[in-house]
Amino acid sequence: MTAQVDLLHVVTTDNITPRRIALGRTLVWGSAGILLLLIATQALFENGYLSFGFENWRPVLYAYVFWAVCFCASQVIIRGEQGKRALFVLPAVLFVASMVIFPLLFGLSIAFSDWNLASPDGRSFNGLDNVRQMWADPFYWNALKNMVYYTMAILVEYAIAFGLALLLNSQIRAQKFFRVAFLMPLMLSPVAVSWMVGKSMLEVRFGPIARLARWIGWEHPSFFGTPEMARTMIMVMDAWTFIPFMMIMILAGLQAIPKEVQEAAKVDGASAIQAFWQVVFPLMLPISITAVLIRIIFKLKLADIIITVTSGGPGGATDSVTSFIFREYRDRSNVGYGTLLAMVYLVVIIIAITIFMKLVDRWMNPRY
Amino acid sequence: MKVELYNRMRRGQMSRRGMLRGAASVGAVAAAGGFSLGLSTGPANAATDLRAALLKIPGVGTGSPSDADYQKVGEMTLGPTKAVVAEGEFEGVELTFLGLNNQNQHNFLFRGFLKPWEKYTGATIKWIDLAQADYNARLQQSIATQTVDFDIIEMGAPFEGDVTGRGLASEMPEWVKDVIDMDDYVDYLKAPVGTWDGKTYRVSIDGDCHNFNYRTDYFENEDFAAAWASEGHDGPWEVPNTWQKVQEVTKFLTGKKDPLSGLDAHGYLDPLKGWGGFGFYFLASRATAYAKHPDDPAWLFDPEDMKPRVNNEAWVRAIQDVLDVMADQPTDQINADPGTTAFQQFLAGTGSMVSWWGDVGAGAKTSDSSVVGEVTGFSILPGSDDVWNHKEGKWETLDTGPNYAPNMAYIGWGVYVMARVDADPKRHKAAWSAAAHLGGKDLSLWASAYPSGFQPYRKSHFNVDEWTEAGYDEAFIDDYLSSEADSYNHPNAAIEPRIPGIFQYYSVAEDELAKIYAGQYASAQEGADAIAAAWEKITDQIGRESQTALYRASLNL
Repeated sequence: MTAQVDLLHVVTTDNITPRRIALGRTLVWGSAGILLLLIATQALFENGYLSFGFENWRPVLYAYVFWAVCFCASQVIIRGEQGKRALFVLPAVLFVASMVIFPLLFGLSIAFSDWNLASPDGRSFNGLDNVRQMWADPFYWNALKNMVYYTMAILVEYAIAFGLALLLNSQIRAQKFFRVAFLMPLMLSPVAVSWMVGKSMLEVRFGPIARLARWIGWEHPSFFGTPEMARTMIMVMDAWTFIPFMMIMILAGLQAIPKEVQEAAKVDGASAIQAFWQVVFPLMLPISITAVLIRIIFKLKLADIIITVTSGGPGGATDSVTSFIFREYRDRSNVGYGTLLAMVYLVVIIIAITIFMKLVDRWMNPRY
Repeated sequence: MKVELYNRMRRGQMSRRGMLRGAASVGAVAAAGGFSLGLSTGPANAATDLRAALLKIPGVGTGSPSDADYQKVGEMTLGPTKAVVAEGEFEGVELTFLGLNNQNQHNFLFRGFLKPWEKYTGATIKWIDLAQADYNARLQQSIATQTVDFDIIEMGAPFEGDVTGRGLASEMPEWVKDVIDMDDYVDYLKAPVGTWDGKTYRVSIDGDCHNFNYRTDYFENEDFAAAWASEGHDGPWEVPNTWQKVQEVTKFLTGKKDPLSGLDAHGYLDPLKGWGGFGFYFLASRATAYAKHPDDPAWLFDPEDMKPRVNNEAWVRAIQDVLDVMADQPTDQINADPGTTAFQQFLAGTGSMVSWWGDVGAGAKTSDSSVVGEVTGFSILPGSDDVWNHKEGKWETLDTGPNYAPNMAYIGWGVYVMARVDADPKRHKAAWSAAAHLGGKDLSLWASAYPSGFQPYRKSHFNVDEWTEAGYDEAFIDDYLSSEADSYNHPNAAIEPRIPGIFQYYSVAEDELAKIYAGQYASAQEGADAIAAAWEKITDQIGRESQTALYRASLNL
């Protein structure tokens, strides 16, 4: 009977004895006990309540790994075939818990503490002080404002990427060559782009772009002298690197559009512009949104070009949140405040992306 | 050559005491050996021979030294080590060395220098190479998380508060002091630098100060001289020796043409972009002549309570000076960091005056990208006609003339041994022996003469004859060395406070300065007040009481 309703096709019926179950439970609870004991001992030792303990937390890590192995093994011992199924996901769950959830919780505890690495007093919980500091920190709000500008630039990048993808999708000469050539900026490290373009080609005295600018009549070319110009140049360098990424995604989408649909539009008398706006563009929306979404995520991490080329200047005009946190954390060793800024930024990103996806969903799937 | 000599001496069973007598270098060893073996070379000549031979590796003008050269230098300067360490004495000892990899220098040289040492002593060294930008964070994290995983560290004196102030460094044994001849250090590198609570921790391998680099062709230019006179400026057309004159010259040069390139002429080059905290040194170089009063050792904070002085009238005047000549700077100067002003501008022929460490002088004739090797002159930083007396709250004109206060920016690199080796006498001796080898008197001469990242820092480095014999132009090297020596030995030198987190203060100041230079504050005073407020926050966060105590200790108060 059981076999008939078991949609997972269990091939054997386990004969699990009470002794075996007891063994499994002993294994998991015993290893958990060792782990908890070690955590407690080390915590008490670190806080000066115990005179003995380990030099570092590494033995606790080993105890955690031991518990994880015992926990996985106990699933099979206690639950037999069902336990084996659990093993397919359990290691991944434990890995995610230890590599993502635990660090996140640990990070949160740091975010609400006063921890300057140069302070002889070490770390101390300081409640919402870091939040108050952030609220009054003009550098952080300035960086957030800049991120809005940088993110808005994605619309222009998308338009250019779409244009290039259309070009490469048409029957042009040396199509394969252009596909590879257009992809090359994506293969470059942003730091290399910063040096090659930002610090060399745009160098005002010797850089070839500056020379060209002088040749066409701009007597004193300046690419980073004013806030607007500097921000624009950062956008251009970043766009140059990442437009190929959007372009290749859109190109893949264009190639997947059935020829019949476009031919039908032609037969019905649609002009090229009508065919694009009424047929191609709507069909491309899902892939376009995916490309823009991924690009937004990339953009929100923008830092390397800024750090290398402008250090956030002039006067913070090009600062991104990440480049500001980088300075706060690395140059000023302000770990507590830097972590809080990063956490708040994470929350802002999650909320913004969720709203964006909801809006897109409503637009793409209107509920009448 | 001298290694062979040394080996011959060893075979002659020279005593350790005899070897050390006379001089703490292989020169002395060779000299003593020479005497016992009946060679005609006297002690002084032998030492000179060794130093002359060292400076010929590979020879000035024969390209950059290679790893083989570093090893050769390390081998030739092993004498003092052999005097106190028996061959194979450190067999089985492994030490970890944390240092920099800037411009393929620092650790790259140390590896070569220490290879013969490893071979002789039997110890091995594991290397941790760091980029300059990662150095502070790595060090602070190691300290804060109590994971100091290195036995020897290359470190600047500004970090002494972080390391020695917390008892993390090993106190220097007496025998090391003899080996490295600390009396030979220039005066400003002697205690309290390298010491904490009266104990010595540092083997100096570098001396740092900002000097004033200028273009001689500008100040010998007859057209400029005529224009200067016709415009009614006071005094002759000459290298400015006060910041007031630097300002006047900078404005005067606007609109004129560079005598070398024919492009726009420029005066003093201010780096207006931050440089991981290091950019603040350049405002400090403008400010010290205003802010460092000869009767007051402090110039950055009040020693009583760490109240910042960065918003007093002296500093505000320095900031205002920068603002006043921003329009006279090259295009895009707002995006120029100190590296740009030195290497992409001054050495490449843009601008006529720049403050920098000795690298500009060292690179003027040796850097492939330098076009100013024949037209560069050097002096100590300009002075000021008046100086701010912070205690009295007024500007003063000194009877002695302009106030000079060379900026001892960064106080140079040193080698420090960490306290974690103290528990094991063998490791302790091995670590200190390695540090002493790198800080040896003769080895340091070579390092200050060739691209290494290190400036001259010993009195014995300022013997012009040695440099000219090695191939340097006498007038050039005399000028360069004088600017360094006069800065180091200046009685009113502005010495940086060695307190924990000093680069945090500099970093946050850079952010505020960027806003000041971008015109986001109504006045220089308002911007300076913002820096002071940020500094107060840092002091409170690190701990005002401990900072004040450490600051006072660093000032020897």
